[in-house]
Amino acid sequence: MKIFDRLFEQQARQLAQRSSRRGLLKGLGGLLVGGAAVPLLPVSRVHAAEKPMDKGDPSSCDYWRYCAMDGFLCDCCGGSANTCPPGTEMSPITWIGTCRNPADGRSYIISYNDCCGKSSCGACLCQRDEGDRPPYRPDKTNDINWCLGTESAAYHCSTAIVVGVAFEET
Amino acid sequence: MKNLRKVGLVGATLVSLAGGVAMSAGGQPPPLPIEPIGIIETLPKDYPESWFLVHDASFFQMSDGKVYVIDIEGNDLHEQVKGTFNVVLMGNLTQSARRHEIYATETFHSRGTRGKREDLVTIWDQETLSPVGEVLWPKPKRFTGMPQRFAMLLIDNDRWLAVANFSPATSVTLIDLDTRKIINEIPTPGCVFVYPTGERGFSSLCADGRFLSAELAEDGTLIELTRTDVFFDSDTTPIYERPAVIGDTAYFPTLAGLVYPVDISGKVAKVGEPWSLVSETESEGKWAPGGIALIDKDDLGRFYILMHPDSKDGSYQGGGPEVWVFDPVKQKRVQKISMQAWGLSLAVSRGKTPQLMVTNPTDMSLEIYDGLSGEFVKTITGFGQSTPLMMHGSR
Repeated sequence: MKIFDRLFEQQARQLAQRSSRRGLLKGLGGLLVGGAAVPLLPVSRVHAAEKPMDKGDPSSCDYWRYCAMDGFLCDCCGGSANTCPPGTEMSPITWIGTCRNPADGRSYIISYNDCCGKSSCGACLCQRDEGDRPPYRPDKTNDINWCLGTESAAYHCSTAIVVGVAFEET
Repeated sequence: MKNLRKVGLVGATLVSLAGGVAMSAGGQPPPLPIEPIGIIETLPKDYPESWFLVHDASFFQMSDGKVYVIDIEGNDLHEQVKGTFNVVLMGNLTQSARRHEIYATETFHSRGTRGKREDLVTIWDQETLSPVGEVLWPKPKRFTGMPQRFAMLLIDNDRWLAVANFSPATSVTLIDLDTRKIINEIPTPGCVFVYPTGERGFSSLCADGRFLSAELAEDGTLIELTRTDVFFDSDTTPIYERPAVIGDTAYFPTLAGLVYPVDISGKVAKVGEPWSLVSETESEGKWAPGGIALIDKDDLGRFYILMHPDSKDGSYQGGGPEVWVFDPVKQKRVQKISMQAWGLSLAVSRGKTPQLMVTNPTDMSLEIYDGLSGEFVKTITGFGQSTPLMMHGSR
């Protein structure tokens, strides 16, 4: 639960920073600080060139993001690991998992948003269930049809979207 | 050309008729009687013990989910398949032997997979397998997901039907089966599903590791909601939401291999001391429960549970190679059934000679075992099934 609480705290802070007057002040502040910093900081060009590491085959159930997956992989259905296929609708609420990215050694919070509005994709069925819990823990269950809050309850496929870095429990 | 064809056809008919008469006169058997058109089969009002309701949610074509009525005593498909009815979009079902009806939650959209959504309970007649009633939700919210035994519950001698909702707000819709009307909706915040409790109530299982028990009045209004003490941690010591209910006790297995006896005779669920399904030796082999419909009971007071070795995070719904049978009063295993293949779901028939049905996930066939001897009986397959992952022994 700590991980979950912290994720929400992090997202709440980000939301607050994006909001209205506070957002404007934050933006101005960032601009001022940034403007001042640009000519002063010894920016490492090598660091700037490095890219986040994300290895693996998103069409394979073994892909690291799918640790708590149960469903058809959207990557095989016209979408990708983090996008829905054309003409579907992404569920706004869903279950999450915490998966370790072997490329950088970090654990990430993965949001498994379902894509809805068409019948089952039928390809690349994948069930891993790591960290999964029965439906009395909705935030961690993949046994529920998460096509909720969508126009259609028809389930098509599931994505696995990185929504944050998980804090390590101490 | 058309005229020539007509002449040929008439000629062939005359020859055929003449031949037929000649064969009859020559000692041949009489011709088959003319058969009536339009006969539809019906089923007995009370289903025999050997009948199962095999729920195939059809994960690859969810709008074509269906239930097969299967007689395991049949020798071939003609004798085994008694009929089917549809349960659309990840529904659930329960059966009332007293009313001779089967209730199924369904979801429809006006344009197939799109358009206006409607949630309802469809009432199926056991004899005709035809819908004889519907109860429409005023606002769609019924639970849709993997099939569950306790997403629906018959209460008060089958007077009411309680149905679990998840929108994701959780509640229970109460239906009067005499009038086929919704009479109440009881909020169950943080808690899901419907387990029998007391004479006229239910309990739901909560995220914070306790039950929420609802006591209902004669007219279906809520008298009181009571939360029990916390008895498990859903992060570190989770339990299955799938119990075996035997008499006044619901046996809830844990993912790690304990079982909690829960006294459901009173108005509030009362959780007893857990005991282990697994011996110390078996514990070293990391034996633990696993499966979808992983547990069921027989009429001899025993429960059957799918078990697997080398359990690990993520294996709790994967099934197993053995079914263990327990006498829960003695807290003792009385039978160990090593299956021919891996099993993913199971169900047990009623009566004094219980028969065990297990889904083989490799080819989605159904294997039958004798519940007393543990011996393999037969495989039932090829009946059009896709993913038959929830089975119910008929009531």
